[in-house]
Amino acid sequence: MVCTGCALLCEDVEKYDGEVRDACRIGTAHIRNRQQINPMVDRKVVDMDSAIKGALDILSHAKRPVFVGFGNSITETQQTGIRLAEKIDASIKTFHTGIIENILNNRVKTCTLSDVRDYADVIVFWECDPMNTHPRLLSKYAYYPRGEKRQHGWEEDRIAITIDLRYSHTASICREVHKIHPGLDADFIDALIDGLHNKVPKTTYDKKQILKLAGTLKKAEFGVIFAGTGMTTPQDAIIRLMDELNEVSNFHILPMTPGYNLRSIAAQLHGRADSGIDMHEADCVLCLGFDLLNSLPVHEINGKMIVIDPNDTISSRYADVVIPCAAGGVDCAGSAVRMDGVEVDLPRIMESERISDASIMNQLLEAM
Amino acid sequence: MRLQFEEFLAAPECKIMIVTYPDIFQIEAKLKYGKFSREYQDLSAIIMLDSGDLKKIGIKDGDTVAIKSEGVNVVVTAKESEEEHPGIGYMPESVWSNILGVYPVSATVSRSQQEIPAIDELLSRSVS
Repeated sequence: MVCTGCALLCEDVEKYDGEVRDACRIGTAHIRNRQQINPMVDRKVVDMDSAIKGALDILSHAKRPVFVGFGNSITETQQTGIRLAEKIDASIKTFHTGIIENILNNRVKTCTLSDVRDYADVIVFWECDPMNTHPRLLSKYAYYPRGEKRQHGWEEDRIAITIDLRYSHTASICREVHKIHPGLDADFIDALIDGLHNKVPKTTYDKKQILKLAGTLKKAEFGVIFAGTGMTTPQDAIIRLMDELNEVSNFHILPMTPGYNLRSIAAQLHGRADSGIDMHEADCVLCLGFDLLNSLPVHEINGKMIVIDPNDTISSRYADVVIPCAAGGVDCAGSAVRMDGVEVDLPRIMESERISDASIMNQLLEAM
Repeated sequence: MRLQFEEFLAAPECKIMIVTYPDIFQIEAKLKYGKFSREYQDLSAIIMLDSGDLKKIGIKDGDTVAIKSEGVNVVVTAKESEEEHPGIGYMPESVWSNILGVYPVSATVSRSQQEIPAIDELLSRSVS
């Protein structure tokens, strides 16, 4: 079975008699729990057909529709969602896809998680904390396992480094820890680039530490940067650093995507023209597996809101229409793309009466 | 209700930069009990502060603080960090932190005697 608790999509998870085995804390909670969420129109409980009709009514009258989310849905749902967006000229907004865009544009070098396990000797966790977001990354790929060319694993063959705004849990296992000052990410990169060119950096950061870090990165045979997708570092600074690193060393970047299938939607939307409607100007916002109001205050949404989600969310409490759906890889099958771009089939783990978001989007598409 | 003398005094403030972080236990509580649960709120409506900053605003670990940033006011529990990070407050990623704006956020933090609002209440009264 495959766990869709995070973008690692661990394929070794098992479920016996209601007990989840080999999943992490997030995976276990994701597979075992599903909150009560009812189909609703105008905050009144209705049947599924009425909720879908309610959504159709809003979509058919929308002049400036915006779709948000898509990162927590199976690839098939995303494909149907894109077709629906094209049909009604809706804008699709996904978040935290900047690094994936740079990978898809071949601006930065990347690799697979299997490559990391087999070859990586210097691993940098840049503004990310996998111990809290992708808990099995270190044990399955990045640090602890023996790989083809890394038979001695973390004890001798791998150096882990954290560069972050705080001393994270992941930092506690790293040989080198560098703290970035909030808002001064680009200065840190400039200083590091100076260090890579054997220059003493003009910086407020500890020069000795920067030179030591530059030395470690230069010696890497196969380096990997795991980059937090919510990182505040400007994208152009990341590209500049990767270019400089690859002049003196061999470095790859992998985005720590927050949604289990964010990589897939980013790839599908890559190079696609978008109507570019602003969220605040939208007269209809469709949230697909995404809790918009968790990050955007209610008063900033001016349009009608439709929520399609397996769980009760803040957005579902304020939405005009709520359509509950099955969770991808738990009570509905499909496919997804792992954070490193590898496609993974998602079998269904358990039966439920809920219909999939792909089926809901299909019904909306056909009726529109 | 009996008024206390401190309520007539302006609580000392401390300027901080707020940075968010992920917490696996909070993510687990969200998946297990939901975003409207007490378990999720207890792990979300918090700010980790430097011990020196706690002293500056005259509070101790576990007291409530008001965080103000550009007209938005959020009340959360203050926790004392083991490491030193003067002028920086760490908050778990949640609606309590996101409502303050895009990170890193400049804010002021001060002692508060208000109760920590539940999500519904927070969303309705966050803009003051």
